[in-house]
Parts: sequence; C-alpha cells; structure tokens
Amino acid sequence: MINAFRPLHAVLLVLCAAFSTSALAHNPMCECKAIDAEQIQCTGGFSDGSGAPGVTLDVIGYDETILVPGKLGADSTLTFKKPGAEFYVLFDAGPGHVVEIDQADIEAP
Amino acid sequence: MNHVTAEKPRSPLSHFWHTWRFHINVLLLMVPLGFMPKYFADAALFRGDTGLGQREIGEVQVGPWSLRLAEFRNEGPVSDGPAGPIKYFNAALCDSCRDQVKATYLRIGKPRSLRAAGVIFFGTPYRMGAGVPVPEKTKTDAELWITMEGWDGAMHQASIPLSQASPATLAWLNKQGGKP
Repeated sequence: MINAFRPLHAVLLVLCAAFSTSALAHNPMCECKAIDAEQIQCTGGFSDGSGAPGVTLDVIGYDETILVPGKLGADSTLTFKKPGAEFYVLFDAGPGHVVEIDQADIEAP
Repeated sequence: MNHVTAEKPRSPLSHFWHTWRFHINVLLLMVPLGFMPKYFADAALFRGDTGLGQREIGEVQVGPWSLRLAEFRNEGPVSDGPAGPIKYFNAALCDSCRDQVKATYLRIGKPRSLRAAGVIFFGTPYRMGAGVPVPEKTKTDAELWITMEGWDGAMHQASIPLSQASPATLAWLNKQGGKP
C-alpha cells in the first residue's frame, strides 16, 4: 500500500524543488497608461502572475493630498479621470509593498 | 548448433559500451561534485555563515538608530520578470534599536511620504532582507534612502550614494547605456 505511493512522492518532491524558486518573491507591479486625453487606466498585480483585485490605488497630488482614492476592480484595473494638478499614482498593497508611478511616466494614448 | 555463435558480431560501439559502462556511470555520478562549491557557497550565504551578504556596505546612522547594510550578492540587479530589475540588500539593526524599530524601508530616491517609503525589510532584526526595484533610467548619482519607523511613531531617514551602496548596480546602470 505504502509502496504504491512512493513514485508519487518522488514526483511531488521533484516538482516542489523545480518550482520553489518561483515562489520566493512576488513583487508588486503596476502599469498606467492614458486611454484617451481625459482618462488613465492602471493595472496592478504581482510578479508571480497573480492579480490584485481590491487593492488600494490612490492618485496623490505633489502636495500629498489624495486626489482620487480608489480600489482596483475585479479585473485588477482602475480607470480614473486625469487630475488637473500634478500627481503620482500609488499602488498600495500594504506597508512596503507599494509601486509609485509619476505622471511623467504615464504613456500618452 | 550453439545459439551464441549464431548471433551477429557486436559493433565496436556496443563493445565499447559493454566494456566501459560501469566506469562511465561512475563518472556520471561525479558530475554533481563540480557544482558542490557553488552549492555550499550559496548555502552559507543564505544561512549567514559568510556574513550579512557578499559585500558589506557598513554601518549607516539613521537618526538615533543605525543599521549594518550589505549587498546580498555583489552583482547588479536581477530581473523579476514584469516587476523589472530588483536589487537585494540585507541589513541588521543595531543592538540598542532592535526593540524600538517597527519597520525599515529602502528606496532609490528620497521618499515622498512614509506611505511611499519603498520596500520593507522583512526577517529578524539580526538579518533582514529587502529587494529594491531599480528602474533602468535610474541616474548614476542616485541615492539609496533608508527610512526607519519606530514603535513610538518616530520616523528617521538617511541616505547613502548608490555608488557606495552598490558599485555593481552602478556598473549595471552604466551598461544599460543611459536609457531615457
């Protein structure tokens, strides 16, 4: 009975060893692009391929006022109207797990 | 008639294989030995037997506190796929500040706020690690900013030039050819 499971154990061990490095780090990432002259769409996620639905994404002015407080939707994206003032986007998945995108780094449509 | 004599004569390759197969297999078993030095060096690095990291940066004073900083590997940033190039640092808090410091953050460039202080160090105060994203357009005169947050709410910051923190990262940036 036990012997029958040994090959399975061996296969599991090999799989665990093979995929262990990919589980080591999953850094937050965020990408924003202007979809038209008025609107900006940001997509968040993690480098292990997982999405970030419900994660906070705030649009913050250079004077540190929060211009657009938001959360990513079920598809890990958030679309917002481009603020008039200078701003940056902060993808905030918790302390130390943030991505900042300056307005200068947002691609034009 | 004997069955054996009726068989085809062995090819030279087959003869070679049958003569030397045991020796060849012993040689195959020795192949992993070549990888042993790297394996043990990595194991010692991960365990901390060879120090905080491959290259010690030294003690950095951050307000009333200080921390010992080291490059985990003495090399440029490594790619983390879509998250971009990441450079790993290790740190150890000073003896007197272990109980006082709640969190330590690392960022290239001065943080705009505590919320955007960069990546957080995780691990024990004796040996913590953090991976800093290094944008390819990072300027070579950039600074590495350390933000420390105390349990009493105090926040202290300090910076060291990136060239001092990681010459290998600077060399890597120069090799990128100053991308816009």
